[in-house]
Amino acid sequence: MASLLTVRDLAVHYATAAGPVRAVDGASFDVPAGSIVGLVGESGCGKSTLGRALMGVMPRSARIAAGSAVFEGQDLVTLPDKARKELLWRRLSFVPQTAMNALDPVQRVGAQLMEVLTERGGLSRAAAASRAEALFTLVGLDPKRLRDWPHQFSGGMRQRASIALALALDPALMIADEPVTALDVIVQRQVLDVMKELQARLGLAMILVTHDVAVVAYACDRVVVMYAGRVVESGPVRAVLEAPLHPYTMGLMNAFPDLERAGGELVPIEGSPPSLLNPPKGCRFAARCPFAVARCAEDPPLVEDAPDHHAACWRSAEAAALRPQAARAETWAGVVA
Amino acid sequence: MTPVIAANDLTKAFPASRRLSDLLRGHRPMVRAVNGVTLGVGAGRALGIVGESGCGKTTTARLLLRLEEVTSGSVLFDGQDVTALRGKALLPFRSSVQLVFQNPFDALNPRFTIRRTLTEPLRNFGIPPDQQDARIREAMARVRLDPAEAYLDRHPHELSGGQLQRVVLARALVAHPRAIIADEPVSMLDVSVRAGVLNVLRRARDELQLAAIYISHDLALIRYVCEEVAVMYLGRVVESGPTAEIIAAPAHPYTRALVAAVPVPRVDQDRGALPIQGGLPDQVNQPSGCAFRDRCPLAMPRCAEEAPAPRSIAPGRMAACHLV
Ligand SMILES: Nc1ncnc2c1ncn2[C@@H]1O[C@H](COP(=O)(O)OP(=O)(O)OP(=O)(O)O)[C@@H](O)[C@H]1O
Ligand SMILES: Nc1ncnc2c1ncn2[C@@H]1O[C@H](COP(=O)(O)OP(=O)(O)OP(=O)(O)O)[C@@H](O)[C@H]1O
Ligand code: SF4
Ligand code: SF4
Ligand SMILES: [Mg+2]
Ligand SMILES: [Mg+2]
Repeated sequence: MASLLTVRDLAVHYATAAGPVRAVDGASFDVPAGSIVGLVGESGCGKSTLGRALMGVMPRSARIAAGSAVFEGQDLVTLPDKARKELLWRRLSFVPQTAMNALDPVQRVGAQLMEVLTERGGLSRAAAASRAEALFTLVGLDPKRLRDWPHQFSGGMRQRASIALALALDPALMIADEPVTALDVIVQRQVLDVMKELQARLGLAMILVTHDVAVVAYACDRVVVMYAGRVVESGPVRAVLEAPLHPYTMGLMNAFPDLERAGGELVPIEGSPPSLLNPPKGCRFAARCPFAVARCAEDPPLVEDAPDHHAACWRSAEAAALRPQAARAETWAGVVA
Repeated sequence: MTPVIAANDLTKAFPASRRLSDLLRGHRPMVRAVNGVTLGVGAGRALGIVGESGCGKTTTARLLLRLEEVTSGSVLFDGQDVTALRGKALLPFRSSVQLVFQNPFDALNPRFTIRRTLTEPLRNFGIPPDQQDARIREAMARVRLDPAEAYLDRHPHELSGGQLQRVVLARALVAHPRAIIADEPVSMLDVSVRAGVLNVLRRARDELQLAAIYISHDLALIRYVCEEVAVMYLGRVVESGPTAEIIAAPAHPYTRALVAAVPVPRVDQDRGALPIQGGLPDQVNQPSGCAFRDRCPLAMPRCAEEAPAPRSIAPGRMAACHLV
């Protein structure tokens, strides 16, 4: 399928007193039109930074240091502010990590939706009012609740309302940052079902940021795995989750409790990710990787190891042999001193 | 086997936030956060408590720990009623039943070294100074913070989240408790470190024959650490029994929805449509009869009239629904 968004070698740095924090440091992946792409990785690996950089909503200390992000033929990195503003909401929209941030607490939810529809979308008030009702219905909210204040909504309802807001002007791509993380499983499932239905009905493409591989398995077509500011693996969800090529992805799969699979010890990945202030040279996972070899002191490039399946590991050709070892706790124990 | 710690028909009502109209009418609405909960856990066993946000899990834990006064019902420790104990008389109970906090970043005093954090409870429970060091080392070894010297003189900010959560667990273990109650013990931790903390919890339970209660809304996690589970809905236990059996064949319609909602980390999961409607009802004005009825796909007229009583449905299994 045609690529809607093509990200190449994107780097986003934060200026701090101690020096630049390389929060995203060479990220490459594609979002095909109409597909849901899961962006996974542990806390602090740069997921939100990447999402915000694509939207152009960054704190002043952040800057895109390198790379490109071509969306519908235009590079978001070099696009002048005015042209970018044209795209925001209309073609490309965002659901921030805390849904509360998306909603103004002192304005009724419906009024916020109306504002986007009339001021940005140029709809008449009457057209906007009926669109607002349609949007609420679309995300599974009762249009009567448009008159409510944000505090009258539960967490799940707020999440649905911020998705409605992001969908207001019918974008082609929605970036949703941890849209279900804070929700109860039942509400989480309801929100994920809404997202899948939007994909099916509107052909909407999505980047769904999460740290939960079960959510990825349930809702996504493709997955991008990040580690310490880098994309370490990407591809169709089946290939990546069933036959991971990168040891970090293998570790992530084995660290996860599975409702339907009994017994066994969970396999922890010992240690913690490196500081992004002074990231180590070579493979960033090396300090925690049970399979590290001398060569890992050099940076492994992200390469297409199998059709449409990319990984950044010197030993990805041996992945089939490494996977059974990665499933055993002894393999990981004692790697980190 | 007498449970180490048990709840007998526990109820807790809180005054709900009041509206002006209520005040004018002299009306005092109450939230029944816990509404007749009976459960218990024996030595070397682990019981999970699952349910949606606001269903009363934390309140149940606080009642069991005697951190909150009960409205009615009783807390039993080794079969003895401890509900009426106060002040000094509670001290042995306090050292025997320990809480593991949810958030390691809040649970530890940032200015204390790990050694001081672990010494504090020992002093409170009157452990002689010459025994304290041995207790601390033993607890650190249990949570796999080896060698202890490498950590004891550090401050919390010098440890990772997973290491901090192990310190929180070590602090619960230094007292040599008989039971631990852990409220969302890993929810603040990264996926990669959760597994390590869960393994430590499980081993400590086995090695010390602790009675453990874990609270979580993640059934997959509960399955991993608890042989038994109690499912709560609006302050009540609606189903309980062996975790594996309940996941394989949930009896209560709410449990069925809960199990169906949990995603699994595998592609091609056919989870079917979610067998539940809407969200949690108003806690103050709960529906008559079965509290689940306005969301239940199987509700019948009888469910509005009569609250279903808990019924034994198999050895060790209980459910409260007219249809079981
Ligand atoms: N404004 C900032 N200034 C300096 N560093 C920052 C800033 N915002 C984020 N960072 C750092 O950049 C890195 C990436 O942060 P980011 O929020 O993108 O991570 P994330 O993957 O979204 O994490 P989480 O899963 O916890 O949301 C982290 O190391 C973080 O500490
Ligand atoms: N001190 C209090 N005063 C008034 N209401 C309270 C108090 N503590 C809890 N509640 C109410 O009791 C109910 C149960 O709360 P509780 O914290 O036990 O739920 P929970 O199952 O632990 O939820 P979560 O999963 O969100 O932690 C909620 O409706 C809550 O608002
Ligand atoms: S490149 Fe080396 S250290 Fe990095 S993941 Fe692969 S084997 Fe491990
Ligand atoms: S008692 Fe009725 S409403 Fe309640 S769970 Fe059973 S069938 Fe549903
Ligand atoms: Mg984030
Ligand atoms: Mg709670």
